[in-house]
Amino acid sequence: MKKTSVIVLTLMIAFALAFTWSCAKEEEKPVAEAKKEEVMMADAPQVYKLGLSLAITGPTSDAGNPYSKGVEDYFRYANETKILGEDTIECFIRDDQYKTDVTKRNFEDFMTEGIVFYLNYSTGSTLGLKRDFEEEKIAVVPASFHAGNLDDSNYIFLPIASYSKQMIGLAEYVATNHAGDTPKVALFIHPSAFGRGPVEDTKKAVEKGLKIDIVEVVEHGKDLDNTATLQRLQSKGVQYVICHTVQSPVATLIKDAERQGMVAGEFGEAGKITFLGAHYTGGNDLIALAGSAANNYFWSTSYTLTSEAGPGTAAQLDLAKRYGRDDKAANSHNYTNGVMVAQIATEVLRRAKASGKPITRESLYDEMLAMNGYNAFYPLTTVGPVTYSQSDKEGVDELQIYRVEEGVFRAVGAPFMPEFAMKM
Amino acid sequence: MSYFFQLVVSGIVVGSIYALSALGFVLIYKSSRVLNIAHGQIIAAGAFITYALTVWAGISIYISFLLSVVITFFLAMSVERIFLRRLIGEPIISVIMVTIGLMSIIDGLVYLTPFGTENFSFPAFLPKTPITFGGVSISWTQLVGVIITTILIASFSWFFKRSTIGVSMRAVSDDQLASMSVGISVPKVFGLAWATAGLSAAAAGSIIGNITGLNFDTLHAFGITVFPVVILGGLDSIIGAVVAGIIMGLIQQFAAGYLDGHWGLYGTADVLPYIILLVILLFKPHGLFGIHEIERV
Repeated sequence: MKKTSVIVLTLMIAFALAFTWSCAKEEEKPVAEAKKEEVMMADAPQVYKLGLSLAITGPTSDAGNPYSKGVEDYFRYANETKILGEDTIECFIRDDQYKTDVTKRNFEDFMTEGIVFYLNYSTGSTLGLKRDFEEEKIAVVPASFHAGNLDDSNYIFLPIASYSKQMIGLAEYVATNHAGDTPKVALFIHPSAFGRGPVEDTKKAVEKGLKIDIVEVVEHGKDLDNTATLQRLQSKGVQYVICHTVQSPVATLIKDAERQGMVAGEFGEAGKITFLGAHYTGGNDLIALAGSAANNYFWSTSYTLTSEAGPGTAAQLDLAKRYGRDDKAANSHNYTNGVMVAQIATEVLRRAKASGKPITRESLYDEMLAMNGYNAFYPLTTVGPVTYSQSDKEGVDELQIYRVEEGVFRAVGAPFMPEFAMKM
Repeated sequence: MSYFFQLVVSGIVVGSIYALSALGFVLIYKSSRVLNIAHGQIIAAGAFITYALTVWAGISIYISFLLSVVITFFLAMSVERIFLRRLIGEPIISVIMVTIGLMSIIDGLVYLTPFGTENFSFPAFLPKTPITFGGVSISWTQLVGVIITTILIASFSWFFKRSTIGVSMRAVSDDQLASMSVGISVPKVFGLAWATAGLSAAAAGSIIGNITGLNFDTLHAFGITVFPVVILGGLDSIIGAVVAGIIMGLIQQFAAGYLDGHWGLYGTADVLPYIILLVILLFKPHGLFGIHEIERV
């Protein structure tokens, strides 16, 4: 027993001596050699880590799934075409099934991995994690365009115009193009913070002189038949319904309206209702769900659509083809949405790298704030430039109105900035 | 006045679809006293099978509907055989927990298919022009839905009252031990209950899918939406499901038509069914047609 103790003690002393000697040798390393190693490290290809937590399955995954494909494809493309030289982007993409607690866990895991930029998804989780983003001082671009995301926040950047701006933009479009007295409008919204958010802002715009009469705000349920709602609205003289929800309830609403012969064939047709909607109500999925009832539906978004030929849409279709995506994903505006936020992230990385700054959360945040004026970013997947500053955290300010014509969304007029949204 | 009748017609249409959706709960509970939490998922699966056969396999929608009903019948029977058969005699809460697990499994499986994350729509197969009479309109989709619901509910009522198997199923629900002692195969009855529930779910899913479009979240949510109907009618009563379904449908339509948008009231169509449910349960805790069991010692 005594012999064993002596052997163990000897071994421990030997190990301690060897360790001290190796440390001393390290310190003795010539300064020039140490510097050389540092330079080599700096020249070595870097991997920039990013995170995305979203609903690939579960509620709203019809939007989240193509969105994640857009993000994945663009980062893959950026790496393969060496947009960042030899450096590469590694984006962790995780499904949160639209559950805020899972999003939080994913975000914490991503932080442990050392991400420098974060892409979030839902309104609920963006609002819920707002404090975490502030604490971590990390720039975040969500898929939610809720204006409330920006309240008391420094690090959240909306990719395009907020829902409020979209709803006000649609209301302005109604006020400008309506013939006759003040148009009577109903708002058809999702029964949640996401749906209710823009209502107050639209009412404020009316107070500031926007010439529409908001007759009623309808919060929809899981309705199988909207006959009562539609007849009530028509009895109150409603001529326009502006929707801010997801596609499925809008599809049921306009199908019921079509059955009752209420859908206007042209904008503002007398005695009929013209239906309009914000970003998440539209797209090809609405046409798939509503069929012919979707004709003459007016929709606002800041993205370009593949139904309208252009350099951005051609590039998007090429990207989808390159990575073997089917037609449905390739033509989805949510795929465009995913591509665009990945473009923003790649661009700030490129700019920070070009200016010789180290790639950190702080430097990327600074690059986001500097993205304005001559430094505005033109991703081609949107109808206007992406601009951010300390006082402007909504990326693309322009909106484009699209209208369904024979089952396809077509642009109506030129992109515009909602005048009343600017006044608020 | 036509407005009132329009609301009545819409209420009956919606109510009968609720009744058909609620039927699956009732059929399983009636024979096994188990509440199948995964019923909404089976409704969605039925709708997707009809769509896949119609659009992807190119079969006529009428035949696809019948095939879907048959497939879901056997699918539900298999689910009972694989997951639930071993739990016969175990506490009811264990079986309900298994149905919760089943819900997650079906969710996961559907998410592996395009139906989990994409929206689809049945091809139009009925005339688009609605049937209008005296200012009251009903779409062909709704009318066909009501007809299918009526046929299925009448068939199930007859089945439980008149057929030997139906009476056996009621006997098992009443007392498993006594049923076994007179030679009724309890496992077979359970299998059949799940199968018939699957059949009704496929029919309900296909009808709802035709009205709302095929969206997994919307479809499986009907499993929860019809819960007040099941409770109000009485968990073990087919006629209760029909009456409660129509009551709920009418309440929703009248609330949307007469209350919402007046006196500062909004969203009453979603809340009122639950308020009425609570009031009725205060006086009739077993629902309108539920059996009130009294044990005498």
